[in-house]
Amino acid sequence: MEKQIYILVVEDELEVMDALVNDLQSFETYFPVETANSSEEAKKVVEQIYYGGNEIGLILCDHVLPGQNGVDFLIELHADVLKHDSKKVLVTGQAGLEDTIHAINSADLDHYIAKPWTKEQLDSVVVKQLTDYVIEEKLNPMRFMAILDAVRLAEYMREHKLSDY
Amino acid sequence: MNLSRKQLVGLVLGLIGLVVPFFLSIEGLSQAGHVALGIFFLAAVFWMLEPFPIYATSVLVIFLQILLLSKEGFIFKEITEVYTPDSYTAFIGTLASPIIILFLGGFVLADAAVKYNLDRNLTRILLSPFGNKPQFIVLGLMIVTALLSAFMSNTATTAMMMTVILPIIARIDVDDPLRIGLALCIPFAANIGGIATPIGTPPNAVVIGALSQQGINIPFGEWMILATPLVVVVLLFAWILLLTMFKPKANSVKVDMSGAFNTSKNAIILYIAFGFTVLFWITESFHGVKSAIIALIPVVFLTLTGVVTKEDIRKLPWEVLWLVAGGISLGISMKSTGLAEWIVGSIEWSSFGAITLILVFSIVAVMMSNFLSNTVTATLLIPLAVSLATSGIAGEGFNLIIVSLVIGVSASMAMMLPISTPPNAIAMSTGTIQTAHMAKAGFTMGIFGVLMVLLYALFYWPLILN
Repeated sequence: MEKQIYILVVEDELEVMDALVNDLQSFETYFPVETANSSEEAKKVVEQIYYGGNEIGLILCDHVLPGQNGVDFLIELHADVLKHDSKKVLVTGQAGLEDTIHAINSADLDHYIAKPWTKEQLDSVVVKQLTDYVIEEKLNPMRFMAILDAVRLAEYMREHKLSDY
Repeated sequence: MNLSRKQLVGLVLGLIGLVVPFFLSIEGLSQAGHVALGIFFLAAVFWMLEPFPIYATSVLVIFLQILLLSKEGFIFKEITEVYTPDSYTAFIGTLASPIIILFLGGFVLADAAVKYNLDRNLTRILLSPFGNKPQFIVLGLMIVTALLSAFMSNTATTAMMMTVILPIIARIDVDDPLRIGLALCIPFAANIGGIATPIGTPPNAVVIGALSQQGINIPFGEWMILATPLVVVVLLFAWILLLTMFKPKANSVKVDMSGAFNTSKNAIILYIAFGFTVLFWITESFHGVKSAIIALIPVVFLTLTGVVTKEDIRKLPWEVLWLVAGGISLGISMKSTGLAEWIVGSIEWSSFGAITLILVFSIVAVMMSNFLSNTVTATLLIPLAVSLATSGIAGEGFNLIIVSLVIGVSASMAMMLPISTPPNAIAMSTGTIQTAHMAKAGFTMGIFGVLMVLLYALFYWPLILN
C-alpha cells in the first residue's frame, strides 16, 4: 500500500474546526484529514501518522491555542527533519505582525490565511501547497492529478524524462 | 521490501521455473537448452508479475546468462557438438548494440527538446491551422501528438500534451462528451504515433534488434515507409471513432497557447542538431550511413557544445536501454541453445496459413500488451517468430521481417486499460474519463488495429520489402 499523505488541522474552537473540516471534504478521498485541538494533541497525532509510515503534506494551524501557540508549534515541527517539508499554513485572525514574521523566518511558513476565509480561497491554497508538496517530495503525480493542479503535475512529468516500457 | 501477493507468487513461480528444467530431461532439447528454458521461465514470470522492476529483471537475465550459459560461466566451458557457448561479451555487448545507441541518440535529442521547449513550441505552431471547431482541434491534437511521439517517448509526449488540453477541458461544460474525447485522443495518438519510427517506442527496438541479429538491417527510412502509412490510417480511424463515440456538444473551442521559440545560442544549436539528425536518419537508404552511427551526431554535438550537460545525461531513462538489452540478450541464448526452435517445433505450424499465422501473432501481442508492458510483450514473442522463420518449420510463405513487424506494431495497438500503457495511465489519472470509456474505445481500436496489421502484412509490406 502506498503511503498516505495527511492534512492536519489544528484549531481549538469547535465551530471553526467544523467549518474547516467541512470545507476540506473534497480532498478527503486523496488526503485523509486529521484534527487536533491543541499543540500537545497535534504532536501526538503527528507521531501516530509518521509511526504508521505515512506523512503530513499540509498543516492548517490556528495561532491562538491553549498551551503552546500555533507559531511556536510550527517552528518546533519545522526543526524536525521528517516534518521539515510539510507545508505549513497559518489560519488565524490574531497573529500579530511580529508572530507572523517569526513564523515566516523560523518555520518557513508557506501561506497565511486570514479569518474569515472563503471556500474558494481555502481550496486554492490547499491545491497549491499540496501540489508543491507532491512535486518536491517526488511522489507519484498520477495519484493526485484528479484533485490537485493537474497542469503543473503534467508539466512536472514532462520535465522528468518519462519513458515507455 | 514489501511484496504484494501477486509479486510473491511471481517470485516463487519464477524461481521454480528457473530450477525445474535442471532436473528434467526433455527430448529434443539440449542440456544448454534446458538451462535457457529455466532462464526464459524466470524472465517471463518476473516480467509479467513484476516481483522486481522490469529493468532489474533484464539485468538479472544478462547476469544469469553469463553465469550459466557463457563460455566463462560455470557449466559450459567447452564447445560441444550440440552447443557452442557464447563469450560473456556477447551478452554484455547487448547494452551497446546498435539499436541501443540509436535510442540513446533519440533520448538525448528528446531530452534537449524538452529542455528548450521545442516540443511545446512545435505544438503551438502546428496546432494553429486547425481553427476552433472541436472536430478539427481533436484532429490537430492527434496529429501533433503522433508526430512528437514518433521521436520522443510516448509518455513524455502525453504529459506535455496534457498541459495543453487540461485548460481546454476545464473550459468545456462538464456534461459535454468532448471532454472524454479530448482526454482519450492524446494517449491514443501517442500510442499509435510511437509506431512510426524505429525510435518511437521500445517495442520497435526489440524488433529491429532481433532482426539485426539475423543479419537483417532495417534502415530508419524504410521502417518509416513500412509503418507510417499504417499509423496514418489507424490515427484517422481513432479520430473518427472518438468523435462518434463522444460527440462534441460545444461548437467552438479555444486553444490557448502562448510562447515563443527559445532563441538562445544553445537552443539554436539544438534545432540544428535535431534537424540534421532526423534528416540523415530518414535518408539512410540514400547515403547508407547506419542510423546508429548517425545517432551519435546529437550525442557528440550536444555534449561538446554543453547544450546537454552532465546532469542531463544522468537523468536519461537508462532503464529503458537495460530493458531492451535484456530482451536482446535473452534472444541470443534462445537461439544458440536451440530453445526457441524447440518451442516452435512443438506446434504444428505448417497447418496454419499465412493469414492465420499473422492473426495469431497479432491478436496474442495485442492481448498480452493490454496487460503487460509493450516491450516485454515484443521481447517474449519475437524469439518465437525468429526461430519459426530460421528453422523453416513454418514453410515457404513465412516472412521473418513481416511477422516481426506484426508483433512489434501489434504490441503498440493495446490501449484498452489504464495499465495498458503509461500514456493511458496519465490520461486516466486526470479524472476526466472512466475506465469504461477507455475500455470501449480501446477495444475497438485493438480490433481495428489487428485488422489493419493483417491487411498491411498481406498486401503492403510484401510490396515494399520485395
